[in-house]
Amino acid sequence: MRMAFDPTILVQYWPLFLQGAWLTIQVSVQAFLLGYTLGIAVALLGLMPGRLPRLAATSYVEVLRAIPFIIILFVIYYGLPFSGLRLPAPLVGTVALGLFASAYYAEIVRAGILALPRGQFESARAIGMSPLQAMRHIVGPQVARAIVPPSTNMTLTMIKESAVLSSITVPELTYQGLVVQGNTFAPFEVFAAVTLIYWGITIAVAGAARRLERRLGVAQARGVSRNRLAASYLLLERERAR
Amino acid sequence: MSIPALKVSGLTKRFRGVTALDSVYLDVARGEVVTLIGPSGCGKSTLLRCLTWLEEPDDGFIEVGGRPFGRTIVGQVVHRQTRREIDALRPKIGLVFQNLNLWPHLSALENVARGPVVVLGRKRAAVEAQARALLARLGLERQMDKHPHELSGGQRQRVAIARTLAMEPELILFDEPTSALDPELVGEVLGLLREIAATGMTMLVVTHEIGFAGGVADRIAFMDQGRIVETGPARAVLDNPTDPRLRAFLGRVLPSSLGVTA
Repeated sequence: MRMAFDPTILVQYWPLFLQGAWLTIQVSVQAFLLGYTLGIAVALLGLMPGRLPRLAATSYVEVLRAIPFIIILFVIYYGLPFSGLRLPAPLVGTVALGLFASAYYAEIVRAGILALPRGQFESARAIGMSPLQAMRHIVGPQVARAIVPPSTNMTLTMIKESAVLSSITVPELTYQGLVVQGNTFAPFEVFAAVTLIYWGITIAVAGAARRLERRLGVAQARGVSRNRLAASYLLLERERAR
Repeated sequence: MSIPALKVSGLTKRFRGVTALDSVYLDVARGEVVTLIGPSGCGKSTLLRCLTWLEEPDDGFIEVGGRPFGRTIVGQVVHRQTRREIDALRPKIGLVFQNLNLWPHLSALENVARGPVVVLGRKRAAVEAQARALLARLGLERQMDKHPHELSGGQRQRVAIARTLAMEPELILFDEPTSALDPELVGEVLGLLREIAATGMTMLVVTHEIGFAGGVADRIAFMDQGRIVETGPARAVLDNPTDPRLRAFLGRVLPSSLGVTA
């Protein structure tokens, strides 16, 4: 038997790869949104005064970080039917992925906020801003830039972890790769293609993150008014149209 | 007698058993300028932080223009005010931080304008016009669109003061306003404080500048070990200190003589 790279397999099965890649992207975006929202909430909870909220936040982070993602996934996917809930695998997979990432996002956001001098928050509070207003107007915009690189790292890790969803039959990229491999018995061709697609997705995300970081950096260094998107958020000047 | 701008009674603060404020009593009348002097670590900064509720005092009461702040007594029971009640009164008490804490991601104008827009819910156009006028009055008409890192130390101080004034406070607390400045800027900032005092603003100024204390302040309060040990008209306190600790303190900060020229 001769081993030769056979690209016709990829030509023949490209719709499956495309479907898989698309689902991977969808799952990743949704898990990112869920994970980051939860992450910010847990980070803020952990910074609240009082022992109870802090304990809740640290327990959340500690528990989720202590478990391999595949186990989190199995516990949720096989555990839910016990409580009478039977949900579609892609939904369960997305939520599990979001939960997994949220613990790390929470730590990133928390560290970013703690790195800012406390006086920034206090000077906002002293003029009468509520804690949330101080976060939104003073702390958040300053923390945003600093947390882009670590958040990017975690997001790339999360995108790659989404491959694990194949083990609960979510038809994302890796799952489709396994399907094609089962039909063609050509694992190398299939996983070389899968590799390239994951690589393309992560490159796109990393590039977008770099642009975002530059943008936020520019907004910070040169005055927010130069950047309309940042300005409308940071300056609240929706009424002052230019 | 009219209602004092600030009335502090029995204010006490402990940090892990160490008493930072030991039953502080202080009244500041409307339009009065009081300076708070004392050795470092005597509780001056802690007092200012408690007066803005950045630090919650363990005991005692604060009134701002006759309104209880932080705690209130209803009948015989002490009530803690809610976060909202505290935040609602905070704009009345301006605080200029020792290290200013300007917001580096915002222009000078926005540092001043953001508070009234967000906290007081004012219209942005009106607030900006007011902030521009305020900054111009403080000699910053060319610096409005600059960020804090592009400003000199004295200019930053002015922005911080403008940010506080923009909230239209009833009194302003200054935490060592000259300590972070180059020596040649000290006179400039003291002049600015004099100007603000001349507008009738009530001020409580923590300072090491005994000259300022003697020249501008109506009253001096001397703090030591968490207590206000001596208080009285500026001249009297500086020229005829009665408390031995105050004498020792003045002897250290004014080594040549106790005579003060402002």
